[in-house]
Amino acid sequence: MPSKTKATILQHHQQNRLLNTAMPPLAMRNPNDLSADDLLAPLDERVIEATVSALESGQTHYVDVPGIGPLREALAKFLNSSAGTSAQMSNVLVTAGVQESRFLSIHLISEQLGKIAIPSVVHPGVRKTLGIRPLETIEVDVDAATMLPTLTAIRAALSSGAKLIYLESPSRLTGATYSAEDVAAIAELIHEHDAAAIWDQGLAVWADSSPSLAAQQGMAERVAVIGEAWPGMGLTSWHIGYIAAPEPWIAPMQSQKQIMSICTSTASQYAALEASNLFEQTYPEIKKQLNNARQQLLDTAKLDVLQGGAVNILAIRSTADIERLQSAGYDVADGAEFGAPGVVRITITGDDTAQNIIEQLA
Amino acid sequence: MSKQKKQGTNLLYQLIAEARSYPDTIILGRGDPDFDTPPHIVAAAKEAMVQNHGEFTPPEGIAPLREAIANRVKRINNIDVDPATEIVVTNGGQEALFLMVLAVLAKGDEMVVPEPNYNTYHDSMKFAGAVKVSVPTSADNDFYIDPAEVRKVITPKTRALLLVSPNNPTAGVISEPEMKEMIKIAEEHDLMILADDIYDLFVYDDFKHVSPASLPGGKERSLTLNALSKAYAMTGWRLGWIVGPADLMARVKELKAAVSGGTSIISQYAGLAALTGPEEPVQMMADTYKRRRRVVLDALDEMGIKYGVPQGGQFVFADISFTGMDSAELAQKILSEQHVLVYPGSAFDKSRAQYIRMTFLQPEEKLREGLEKMKETMSKLQVSR
Ligand SMILES: Cc1ncc(COP(=O)(O)O)c(C=O)c1O
Repeated sequence: MPSKTKATILQHHQQNRLLNTAMPPLAMRNPNDLSADDLLAPLDERVIEATVSALESGQTHYVDVPGIGPLREALAKFLNSSAGTSAQMSNVLVTAGVQESRFLSIHLISEQLGKIAIPSVVHPGVRKTLGIRPLETIEVDVDAATMLPTLTAIRAALSSGAKLIYLESPSRLTGATYSAEDVAAIAELIHEHDAAAIWDQGLAVWADSSPSLAAQQGMAERVAVIGEAWPGMGLTSWHIGYIAAPEPWIAPMQSQKQIMSICTSTASQYAALEASNLFEQTYPEIKKQLNNARQQLLDTAKLDVLQGGAVNILAIRSTADIERLQSAGYDVADGAEFGAPGVVRITITGDDTAQNIIEQLA
Repeated sequence: MSKQKKQGTNLLYQLIAEARSYPDTIILGRGDPDFDTPPHIVAAAKEAMVQNHGEFTPPEGIAPLREAIANRVKRINNIDVDPATEIVVTNGGQEALFLMVLAVLAKGDEMVVPEPNYNTYHDSMKFAGAVKVSVPTSADNDFYIDPAEVRKVITPKTRALLLVSPNNPTAGVISEPEMKEMIKIAEEHDLMILADDIYDLFVYDDFKHVSPASLPGGKERSLTLNALSKAYAMTGWRLGWIVGPADLMARVKELKAAVSGGTSIISQYAGLAALTGPEEPVQMMADTYKRRRRVVLDALDEMGIKYGVPQGGQFVFADISFTGMDSAELAQKILSEQHVLVYPGSAFDKSRAQYIRMTFLQPEEKLREGLEKMKETMSKLQVSR
């Protein structure tokens, strides 16, 4: 006899619109896949060597829930130097990728603070993770040009009782970033409303300027920063990310991390640790290549794009362009999944991306 | 060290932290095999770093690994699964456990949990807002789960039955007739079954592991987890899985995507090598645990400590009630005096403060040394018996 209990469970999940949000792939599925969240980057031999050496010397056991000490230190150092924050190792939690960072920060911080404000346009992983357990949320309107929440909308959300706001800068859809003045104004609003923020700055390394909210005065106690560990270093599919947050928030997130995965894979942690040493040398060149490719696309393919910033992505809004890309066989990320129907995102993955697209579209 | 009273997993982590502060601690607490991962698995990981590092990892896991898992659960657990639709790869058994709980239990739902049990079930249920309904088991009858007791606690809100066999921390194994009875109960009351097979390769004497999903009526209502952590000494790789009926697994896949997106590509290829490579290293480790189990049981007999015979698993759950001490206090005393770490039963279940859990995951020599040291403390306590 079919199980009624199972039918009830299935119905419960099927009706969970948030949980069923579709997400773009994290990494490219094939050479024509421009929909991935992250670019395909080569993996430095030294990363392989260091990781294998750690594994061969017996780093194959459980490690500390928040991550291995040297990696937490390296992440704190990276954030402090690149984003101007003042994180210590005790503020850092290593995660099994940026989606785990979203899950932990959204659920555990809102549990302490209350209602959470979510941009109407945001990475679909945010909405998906909201489907795990009901949370009180409020939507924040975005600017039509950048798809970033406007200051007016942020003020409105905080005034209506949201104690926590989730923000991306750069936007995971357009790559647009908040200016220094905007970030200062957001800090002011958060302060004024005695609120807090989760700040996804995973793509910040790809923007020329992407000031961090956590670096603003008084924000170290109010902002959790999340992202992937060393983008562009070939670690996308290794699933390694971070959360840097005030210590009182780290404790509950760490407890939850223990419950849901005990710790992050040691191979990924040792790889990220080595990547941290190579990043400064490697990434300027990758960024330059991506920037060239992006510029070429803008100049030659004459795509109608939204205002961006991060060099690895472009958001396209002209129906004609979208059709051209799709009929040339490209997969693109559907903006509807982010909350922006009619827009698509392409990820620039290397210096030949532009060349290929231009040839295909010609 | 802070003497603040901690409970459950936090208590364990507090003890682990103190154990670390002594250079000579012998760890008979944590469920982490002393063996490092076999070299052929590390070699496969290296190969994957060169060949596959940038590959897309779908939330449910890469296809070749799911094929290998399907073969494994068929061969060892006698469960038929379609690798395309009935498997989700996870960050260790722990994430599998968390996802199974989220898949089946919503706020206010009840699950029947034989106690004591692995505390993460309790923690995960708490996150889901679900309610644990305990069925106590006892060392007196080797932690047998009495079907009559299970039936007694079922209410209209009961959604599921948890079956961890071999169990952690009791090391009890559910026999085939008992398992059939549990399925009958699940059918009678229309319950789902959450099955945890993580210790399925570790069964002793004449005991046999049986997965509920392999029995008639079991598969349709079961989610079954397993992981490579314990059997392949791969705790640091974080690789596990859930198998179950396609309709439910489609939901589990969404949950996995929402919680962590996917699983490390390198761990997945390492797992593939583990499941398709030589079995000798696993067998060697399993044989070693069998010998060490005898060493621990002999030492407990010498100390006059009662225990439920560990029918499976990698540990023994021993009754220390004669000491008159609370298990957390005793574990603390053994740790401070002897630098030997054992786990207090109260961390698994508040009502099990008269038990300690000891693993046999140390080289034999170290294990013997730890047991000798423990004897010193215990003999002083015995005087007062
Ligand atoms: C019964 C049981 N299930 C699941 C797990 C999780 O194991 P892991 O996440 O290391 O694979 C453990 C770990 O001790 C366990 O004892």
